[in-house]
Parts: sequence; structure tokens; C-alpha cells
Amino acid sequence: MANNRDLLPRESLLWIFAAQFVALLPQLSQLPLWIGFAWAFAVYWRLEVFRGRRDLPGRALKLLVIALTVAGLAQSYQRWFALEPMVALLALSFTLKNLELVSRRDAFVSLLLAYFVAATLFVREQSIPYALYGLIATLVITAALAAQLGSFSARPRRALGLSLRLMAQATPLMLLLFVVMPRLGPLWNVPQDTSAGRTGVSDSMAPGDFTRLSKSAKPALRISFDGPIPPPEQRYWRGLVYSEFDGRTWRQGLGVDPRNGGQVYWNSGERPLPQIGPRYRYQVIQEASRSPWLFALARPASDSPGVGETADDRLVKRSPVYSRFAYEVRSWPRDSQAIPSPLNSAERRRNLQLPANGNQRTREWVERLRRRGLGAEEISSQLLALYNREFTYTLRPPALGSDSVDEFLFDSQKGFCEHFAGSYVFAMRAAGVPARVVAGYQGGEWVNGEKYLLVREYDAHAWAEIWLDGRGWQRVDPTAAVSPERVRDGLESAAGEEFMQDSLLPVHRFDVLVKLRLQWDMINYRWYQTVVSFDSEKQRDTLQRLLGDLSPMRVALFFATPVVVVLFGILLWTRLTGRGRKRPAVERLYTVFCKRMARAGITRRPGEAPRDFARRIAEQKPQLAEFAGQVTDAFERAAYGGDKGALMELRRLLRWCLGLPLRVRTNKSQQAGH
Amino acid sequence: MNRDFPRQASSTGSTDSKSSRNFFRGLGERWLSRRAPRSRDITLNHSRLFILPTRAGLGYLLVTALLWLLATNYENNLVFALTFLLISVFVILPVHTFANLSGLRLQLLGTEAAFAGDFAEAQINLSRTDKRQREWIQICWPPEEGAYVDLCEVASADFRIALPALQRGRIQAPRLRIESRFPLGLFRCWSRIDLDVEFLVYPRPLTAGPLPLGEALVEGTSGQVRRGGDDYASLKPYQPGDSLRHLAWKQYAAGRDLYSKEYESRTDTRLWLDWELLDGRDVETRLSNLCDWVLQAEKQGVAYGLRIPGTTLPPSLGTEHQQRVLSALALFPKWGG
Repeated sequence: MANNRDLLPRESLLWIFAAQFVALLPQLSQLPLWIGFAWAFAVYWRLEVFRGRRDLPGRALKLLVIALTVAGLAQSYQRWFALEPMVALLALSFTLKNLELVSRRDAFVSLLLAYFVAATLFVREQSIPYALYGLIATLVITAALAAQLGSFSARPRRALGLSLRLMAQATPLMLLLFVVMPRLGPLWNVPQDTSAGRTGVSDSMAPGDFTRLSKSAKPALRISFDGPIPPPEQRYWRGLVYSEFDGRTWRQGLGVDPRNGGQVYWNSGERPLPQIGPRYRYQVIQEASRSPWLFALARPASDSPGVGETADDRLVKRSPVYSRFAYEVRSWPRDSQAIPSPLNSAERRRNLQLPANGNQRTREWVERLRRRGLGAEEISSQLLALYNREFTYTLRPPALGSDSVDEFLFDSQKGFCEHFAGSYVFAMRAAGVPARVVAGYQGGEWVNGEKYLLVREYDAHAWAEIWLDGRGWQRVDPTAAVSPERVRDGLESAAGEEFMQDSLLPVHRFDVLVKLRLQWDMINYRWYQTVVSFDSEKQRDTLQRLLGDLSPMRVALFFATPVVVVLFGILLWTRLTGRGRKRPAVERLYTVFCKRMARAGITRRPGEAPRDFARRIAEQKPQLAEFAGQVTDAFERAAYGGDKGALMELRRLLRWCLGLPLRVRTNKSQQAGH
Repeated sequence: MNRDFPRQASSTGSTDSKSSRNFFRGLGERWLSRRAPRSRDITLNHSRLFILPTRAGLGYLLVTALLWLLATNYENNLVFALTFLLISVFVILPVHTFANLSGLRLQLLGTEAAFAGDFAEAQINLSRTDKRQREWIQICWPPEEGAYVDLCEVASADFRIALPALQRGRIQAPRLRIESRFPLGLFRCWSRIDLDVEFLVYPRPLTAGPLPLGEALVEGTSGQVRRGGDDYASLKPYQPGDSLRHLAWKQYAAGRDLYSKEYESRTDTRLWLDWELLDGRDVETRLSNLCDWVLQAEKQGVAYGLRIPGTTLPPSLGTEHQQRVLSALALFPKWGG
């Protein structure tokens, strides 16, 4: 059994619970609800034990609880080796630890677990608020650690103050480590949970998907350009291509989605690049989307690791984008490229696919146009003219029935991008023109302060591409035919009153708030650029900027200098502080005397009384007897009698003795003795 | 007083490994005694303090290693930052732990005598020489738990620490350990100091029956004598009223003055705790028995004297007398007799 001093007092317990709470709080939204309850119950039980109303659970009960929690975990998560179940397991382990929180060692284990749980928060989200929260959590856990040492340090101000001071003092070294510590790549592959909430453009386009996106002002992409910036009407950030239509939902289909056999060129150079140089060079920072789709202008190429190009001119990532991801892109607009070879039959078949029946009215209408002998472009312009004449752009379209294309084209005639793009592609396919729906983002807000283009979720857009013989894939945006301002100025001006109407805080209505939001985004961008995306490449750049040249000598100096400086500082500090209280003058003077005597050959023994010492001196070196006697006498009077004059006399005596080299004196007297 | 009494029973290692370990221990002790000499007033400084991570500290390092793995695998810079922060805290901690002890002044206020088998206590004053608050300082003779002291709101504190006293005699206490794990418990800073603590340990009291009242063997001239016994003791000038039966006729016949013979009793009203009363037992048992009698006599208020080889203390009562008697018992030579 732990000894008495090892048992946890009340303050320590409360601190441990506080630390656990802080670590657990942001995870609660992700973890199954019962874990939160289990934790609260364990805390309650432990407090009851502290009050003496209950006992700590016995072995059988503990085993039962463990079995229950394991079963609970298995029920909540289908697999084990992913982040979420791991976090859950950690949270549960300190929850269970609460039931046997007895000694300081238990407390310590519990707090170490809390550190780990707090850290897993960052794996999910690396934004500034989370970083700040993580910092606070670390502060509290460290304070809890400090509070384990007695009741004085358990006082909130003292514990937090200590913790804050430690962290502040540790910060310089942390920054140094952050900059110089080498980053290795992932050591093994860690699967992550993909089932959790997904944002952004998705794998499929069903009616209503884009209305959801139009309500979110979350940033999706941040794009900074190296060189010219595309004009607003060219800012089509392609992410997905839908080729398969089942009458209601558009999907990528076989041969498009890389997961379903779509070809991806992972290595640069695998796919020949156009002869002429790229028109745009830019870096895209994409927010976590939990899907592998990346966004770029048409005919992109990227050298960033883990990024591949698809045959239909998009970029994909090898693994889903779980946290912000930055990639470099070069883009060649289609009009700058050579005449493409004709579409192969598989491609043609895929892009002409339609459900066997349904939407008869549209099919008949297109058939009529075809019978009049119109070509692909004429049919397209007929359709766009129809949109322009009759249709309304609205974010709140009426619900559509089973023949959604028919109802949209001939009855409701109200809708937004997905309706326009979907019906357009349907009609074009019905007319025998290969066509496909493209989804991604359109537009973006230019942030002048930091020189980047901010694309938000509500910029999500869908448009169409048709194949024209001899010209290749051409982008057609049916929405532009109805509402040109959607393409030119973005959703906000196109939707007018409807824009973000349901949001709790109509931020966009207040100029100040809009500006503030933009400022905040700029800070975020900075944060991302400097901290979150700091990788080995940036590390090399930074070191190069700091040192000029990465010769081993310089790196070693860079490392060694602070270490040496700090060590020297500590040494100096220990020398200065270690001396302790200044000893009284009498003692110091007497020490001088003792040292002098030691040089003369008589060392004072530890604990030897001055009188005894003087007697010994008189025995061994009679010639010093008088001097020693006088000094001892003066010392005793000064030290114990509080005699000021004696101190003066002692000083005088010693000055006299210091003035004369003692050894000569002794030698002389020894000669005299012979 | 002789300081060269054997301290504790010296362990004579039989095996080689033990003797070599003792050799190194001896080497360490000698090194310590040079580096941190004996004194009744010690101020802790860098030359006396040692510092190493605790087991908890190693656990903490393990967690930072795991965090580093997490950060590396997820290529997560914030986890990296947290890892480096924790490592940096670990790096600066020794300085704090050291500062918690450095500059502390320890003074031996005094010691109290104890009986063998009991705990001997030393009173020590711990004070800080600067304004820094000190916490959670443990001072002990391992493996005893010793005392925990905080110097947070006060600048100086007196406390007692106990050492089990095993053998009688003048015991030089081993080095004290002063230790602190403040602030996070990840490092242990300690010093082994010799405060020149010396205990006087009385023999362990062992019951030897009731007080030997009336059994004192009378020898010599000290003490009050009960007259009228059988044993001839001495001559004294005749005084009127002396019994005629006791007149020393022989001496008178030889032409000297009239003397009267004095007889003394075998028993004495005053209590002599005598070595010889316990004949046949070994030295330590005799001392222990005497010790027990001393305590009994003092409790019962019977004046007692002590007579052991080399020392005779006349009967008396009172704390001071008791201390003198017990000291005499404590300091009785070990191998003498």
C-alpha cells in the first residue's frame, strides 16, 4: 500500500479532474456520448470515495466495467486502428483510472494520458482557436502536475502561475526545436476515420446538395499566384467530373473516379505536358475535406508529392485530405493547347450515357432541334437562349418530382447551378453530344492584404463541358446564361436577398464584419503558411535564410551556440546563488586565519573549537602561539561577546599577518629554533 | 569523551562482490566527505546538490516520444509544437528543481538522547537565504520518511527528524538526505549532508525484577550506613552512650585511647544500583537491566546511586542525575568490562 504521503489529497484530485475535463471537452463532440457520461460517473464515484461514502470498486467490478467499456467501444467503432477509436480508448483509460486513483503514481499516469488526449485534438483541426485551446489545455495539465506536490502548490494561482512560467521559459527552446528538428515522413500508414462530417463538394450531385453549400461561408481554398491571375470569369476550380446519371443523381461513374478504374498519372512526366509553357502558376491550400479531390484550373499539372493528374484534367490526392493540404499547380488553359485527338469510343459512350427512359419531354424537344439539322453548338446556344429567356436564378427552387429535368425545363424554370448544369448536360447527351457535369468552385474573393484568392464553400458551383469535334472539351456554364453576375461577381450578388438568409448572423450585411472576417482569414492564412504547413522543405528554406548556407559547421554552430550560452548562464547563476547568505565578518576573518594556518601546516579539524585549535597551534608551532592566541581571543570576543572593538582588533591582527608572508616568518623562527 | 567508539556493528562482507561494493561505497563516502564536509551549519549549493530524472520523468519522456511519433506520422505541426514544448519544459525543469534547494541553510539545533530500540530525534532549522519560495522538501535518514517542509509563507522552520537508535553509545548519525522533486516531480534533486548529528543512546531498558532495595552490597565508606549490623567496619573514638559491648578492649589494652568498634549492616536504606548485583550476565544485559532500574527508581522517587566499573555516582534524584547516570551507562566501553 502506498504510504501516507503518497495518497492523493483533495486538491490534487480536483486538479486531475480539471485536467481531464479540459483534455476531454473538445473531444466530446466526436466521441460517443456514453464516454462523456462514463467519465462524469467515474469522477462522481471517486469524489464519493473521497468523502468516505463509498469504497473504490473491487476487482470483480473493475473487470466488469472494463468488459463493458470494451464492448461499448466495439459497438461504437467498427475498427480499432484509427484515430477516433484510439482517442476514445485513451479517454476511457483515464476515465477508468479515476476508479483506482489512489497514489501519486496513478495521478501521474492519468495526467500523462491527458497530455496525449489533448494532443490528439490537433490531428483533427489545426486552426488558431484549436491551437490556443491546446495551449490552455497544456497549461492546465501542467498546473495539475505541479499541484500534485503539496497543498501550497495546489492553490489555483500558484499552480497556474508555475505552469505559465515553465511554459514561457520553455518557449524559446521549443521554437528552436520547431525550426531545426528534422521532420521525417510518416513512419507507417495511419488509417483515419472518413465517416465523420464531410464538407465541400461531394462524390455525387443530387438536387439540394449545392443549396447546403451555399449556406456556408467556410473557406474551402486559398490560392496564391506566382505571376498572372486569371480574370474572374476564368476562375473555374475543377474538382469532380460527373459522367453517370441515374435520372436523379449525377455520379462520377466507372472510369472517372480513380477508385473505380479512372486513370491517374501519379508521376510527373508520365503524361506529356503541352509544348507551350503554363499560363498560371499557383499554390492551393485546401481545407480538410476528407475526400481525395483537389481543385485546379483546367489542364493542371502538379509536382507536389502525393498528387496525381487524371485523364479528365483534374488533380487528385493519393490519400484523402484530412488536414489542410497545400499543392503547387501549373495550368495550361484549353485554348492554348493543340487540337486534341478525337474522343475514343469508350469515352464517347460514357459521356452519352442516359437512363433508358424518363424525362421524355426533354428528349422530344431535343429531337425536334436535331431534326431541324442543328449542330452541337447550335443546340447548345438554343438551350442557353432558352435559359436566358425564361429562367430565374434562385437559391430556393421548388421541389422536383421524378422526371426532374422535364419539370425543371418546362414547368418550374427556377433553380441554380446544379439544375442548370444537370439539365443542360442531359439535353446535350440526348442530342448526341458528349457532355459531362463538372463540379468545383467558381470565383473567389481577392484578399489584397495577403495577395491570395479566398474561395469559400458558397462558391461551390457546377457547370458543364461538351465535346466539340476538332475543338475538344469546351466549358459551358448554363448558369451564366441566366445570371451572368453569378460567374462575374459570385453568389452574393447573384442571389441578392436570398444570400445567406438562413444564417443566424447575417455577417455579409455589415461592412465592418465582412472586413473583420477577411482580416481573420488573412491571419489564418499566415498561420497556415508559417506554422501548420511547415515541412522539411520550408525548414530547409528557413535554415538557409537564417544561416545562409547549410554547411555542417554552421548547423553545428547554430545548435551549439544557444546550448553553450544557456549552460554558461546556468553555471553563472549557480555560482551566484549557490553561495547563499553572506557570512558575518567575524566568521570570514576567522576563516582567513584558518586558511593561513593551514598553509603553515596546521589544518583546523572539522568541528574543532577555536580554543582547541589555538592550543594545538601552540603545541605544534610554538612560534605562532602568541599570534594564534591573540586572534582566537579577539575572535571569541567579537563572535560571542558582541565586542565591536574586538572585530577591529581581529582585522588589524590579520592585516598584519597578511602583510607578512607567513612562510618566511615560520622559516625564520624555525632557523632560530635550530 | 571518546569519539572513536565503533558506530554500528561493522558489516564484514564475506563475498568478494559485497566487499567490492563496500569498497566503492567507501570511496563514495570519502569523496562526499571531501566535497561536502561535516558541519552543524550548512548552506546548500551546487557543489553539494545532485540531480537526476525520476521514474515519473522517464514516463514523461516516453509520452513525449509517443507524441513525436504521432506528430511524425500525421505530419502534424501542432503536435510537433506540443511535443517540443513538453521537451523544453523537461529541459528547463532541473534548473527549477535545483533552485528549490539551492541556497537553503540547515542548522542543527540539538539532539535528544534516546534509548536503544527507540527513535533518536534531532532538531533542525531550515531557513532560506533569499526570497524564493521553497516547497515540498523532504529531509530524512533513508529509509525513514523523515520530515516534509515547506518554506512558502515562512522563511524559516524548525522540525525534528528521527533515526532509529539500535545500539547504545555515542552514535554519529549517517548523512542526512535532503530532497525535492518540485515543481513537477519529474526530477529529483538531492544532497547528502553531514550535519554532525551525534546522538547519545542509552541502553535498551530490560526488566530485571523489582528495585534491589535493601540488597546493596556495601563497600567503601560512601553512603549512609545503618549501624548495628554484624560486620566489623572501623574504629571510632568512644563517645558516651556507645554500647560497652562494642568497646575496643584490645586497643585499649595496648595503651591507646578508648575506641568503640563500629559495625555496619549488610543492607542499606539507600539504593545502590551495582554492577555486581547482576553477576553472571553479559555486559549489555547488565547495562540494560541497570537502565531499567534507573527508570524505575526515578519513577518511584527513590534516590539511587550507580556503581559500575570505572564509575561511581552517589545516590541522588532528579532529571539531571538521571541523565548523568544513563550517560554513564551509555558510554560504558563496549569491549571493556
